[in-house]
Amino acid sequence: MRLALAILGAAVCHADTATTTQAVTVEIVAAGKLSVQAALPLAAQTSPFGDFAGTLPVNYRMRTSATGGSGSITLQAAGEFSPAGGPTLAGSALRYTCGGATLGTACAGTQVVSQAAQTPVVQVPSGACTGGGAPCSAADPASSQLQFVLENDPRFSTGVYTVRLVLTTSSL
Amino acid sequence: MKHLRNIIVAAAVCMLCFTATANAQFAATGTTTLSLTVASEAALRIDSPTTALTTATTVFDNYTGTTNFTYKIRSTKTGGSGTITAALTTPFGSGGPVLPSGSTDLQFTCVVSSPGTGCTSAQRVNIVDAGTVATFGTDAHSARAGNSGSVAWTLVNDPVYETGTHTATVTFTVSAT
Repeated sequence: MRLALAILGAAVCHADTATTTQAVTVEIVAAGKLSVQAALPLAAQTSPFGDFAGTLPVNYRMRTSATGGSGSITLQAAGEFSPAGGPTLAGSALRYTCGGATLGTACAGTQVVSQAAQTPVVQVPSGACTGGGAPCSAADPASSQLQFVLENDPRFSTGVYTVRLVLTTSSL
Repeated sequence: MKHLRNIIVAAAVCMLCFTATANAQFAATGTTTLSLTVASEAALRIDSPTTALTTATTVFDNYTGTTNFTYKIRSTKTGGSGTITAALTTPFGSGGPVLPSGSTDLQFTCVVSSPGTGCTSAQRVNIVDAGTVATFGTDAHSARAGNSGSVAWTLVNDPVYETGTHTATVTFTVSAT
């Protein structure tokens, strides 16, 4: 009887011990996201009638597919300058150049901001990823800069004018 | 066992929450608002940096000449104004025309394209008096490339002047508020 109890006791003590395996899989997909400051004042560079200019830092993280993938950041105006009486996208040509992309290639040449179409900021090749060093970028987040220039036209009325710009990431 | 699983799940959820909070400014799109403050400004360019005053006769007719300029201006939308003036900043040298205070020996008339209003009468220029070339009203705007103007000079041909070349400097100033 004592032996039986001892065996039963041992069985109870080890009843919660078990071994199992669990397969874990993860699907890594292309992704992209970015961050920009909410406001950028453009300042006249010289007086009188020096161009208005300002630099916008763009921080981003992106991963593109190893085969046939690509990524991009584009820019588009969400509306016209407001209020009326000052610069207009249609007539004043808000321009920008891109520089310093730490992942991918910054846009080449001078771009003209449009309400109707997206214009390039950064192009990222296939198999790209952000941070940690090779094969990904060294910097995390990656960054680029946009240098905006707007002609200081005497026809603008005095006042404060704003325009909202939207930057969009795309990755495959 | 179930309790332990709940703890692991809760920890995982918290880690996701932390990651989301730390990267809250990152998103698939970002917006920025560009702003600029347009102020009153004015500028001009003298298109004839040297103006020769000449006379066609030798019977003491006045010397005449024309200075051309291009101006840009933007005056304040409400209550703004502007002017272009011409002042004698370096008088003629010894033996040349003397232009003391009140002298009318050197005068000019003006032609100024809109939005400027050129002087309506002859303006004298001497060591004290600057002449008004143009005035501008509120919310005045020149063309993108500027607008033109000119000043037609007249200098009395006084026999007292010594023969030779005499030079003075007139400074044009444009301002806007």
